[in-house]
Amino acid sequence: MDKELEHSFVTNLEQNQNIVHKVCRIYTSDPDSHNDLFQEITIQLWKAYPKFRGDAKFSTWMYRVALNTAITLYRRSKRSIKTADLDTMNFKIKSEEYDDEVEQQLKLMYAAVKQLNDIEKALVFLYLEDRSYKEIANTMGISEVNARVKMNRVKTKLKKILNP
Amino acid sequence: MDELELLKKDWQKQDDALPKLSYKEIYQMILKKSSSIVRWIFIISIIEFLLWASLDIIFRLNGMHADIEKIDMGVFTLITSIVSYSILGYFIIRFYLNYKKIEATDSTKVLMENILKTRRTVKQYIWINISLFALAMIATMSYVLFTGEFENGTVDNQPPVWLIVVSTLLVTLFFVGLIALFYRLIYGILTRRLKKNYKELEKLEV
Repeated sequence: MDKELEHSFVTNLEQNQNIVHKVCRIYTSDPDSHNDLFQEITIQLWKAYPKFRGDAKFSTWMYRVALNTAITLYRRSKRSIKTADLDTMNFKIKSEEYDDEVEQQLKLMYAAVKQLNDIEKALVFLYLEDRSYKEIANTMGISEVNARVKMNRVKTKLKKILNP
Repeated sequence: MDELELLKKDWQKQDDALPKLSYKEIYQMILKKSSSIVRWIFIISIIEFLLWASLDIIFRLNGMHADIEKIDMGVFTLITSIVSYSILGYFIIRFYLNYKKIEATDSTKVLMENILKTRRTVKQYIWINISLFALAMIATMSYVLFTGEFENGTVDNQPPVWLIVVSTLLVTLFFVGLIALFYRLIYGILTRRLKKNYKELEKLEV
């Protein structure tokens, strides 16, 4: 029974691991911390898995646990407390698709996102992942109106960071 | 905001650039122990409970109770023991119930609230103990001073009453301050980030 549960969990996570990697990408700045956070999210997902009933999509369910771990449960090790540097490690856009100006703009945007606080990062992450405001509100435990208001504030803040 | 839309497009194209872990690698991860803040809070809280509960035993082993019994405070000691163990029991049960409520599948806000509640329970326990400690110090002092033991003058050249009162208060204050400082330190380190994020979420609701 346990083996079965383990197998279905690992298979599910293997198929959906991109979500976790992307959360790690937003919240960490170096490979060690990325792996650390991935490890902790995996443990938290596994701990919560017996209660996953399958009435939601596995991926939807993952967003919540992964973000909760990044924002609340994960204890950052010392090495990951860094100033918001350019996200060079993870920055792998295909340069042939963009001209220099666009590429530069993207670079600045990623750097700006890194400067946001934990809660704002969660909102931006869910926004980038194209989740609905209803889902964002549910995940964070705030009202839908507040999620919209906050997202607008984050946009303004990003604009300020980009054009000081 | 155009830039954010641009970012969104790029963000959704990054799948190939992300690391890929194998089935085996993920499997090995689920065998490891969590190092989450909840686990740390749990361990530290249990240590705190044990520490305070064992103070009583340490006093007994040191023979301090025997001294107290000599001056006929036996009943007083018995009552304080019963009270302190019932307080301990009450708080451990509450702590355990709060702890059980913590689930990573709750919304971020509810999760934070539940963690903070768990921590608050231990905090209350510590403060009640500090107060009881201060009370016991003052009670013992009053007992010694006002029940005649003091005036019977078993010791020559006794210091004046005010000096005893002031020094007892100072010593009490010193210990209470020390415990409070130590406690704030542990509490602060553990929950600083959590509190900051919780406030950030709460700001939205105003």
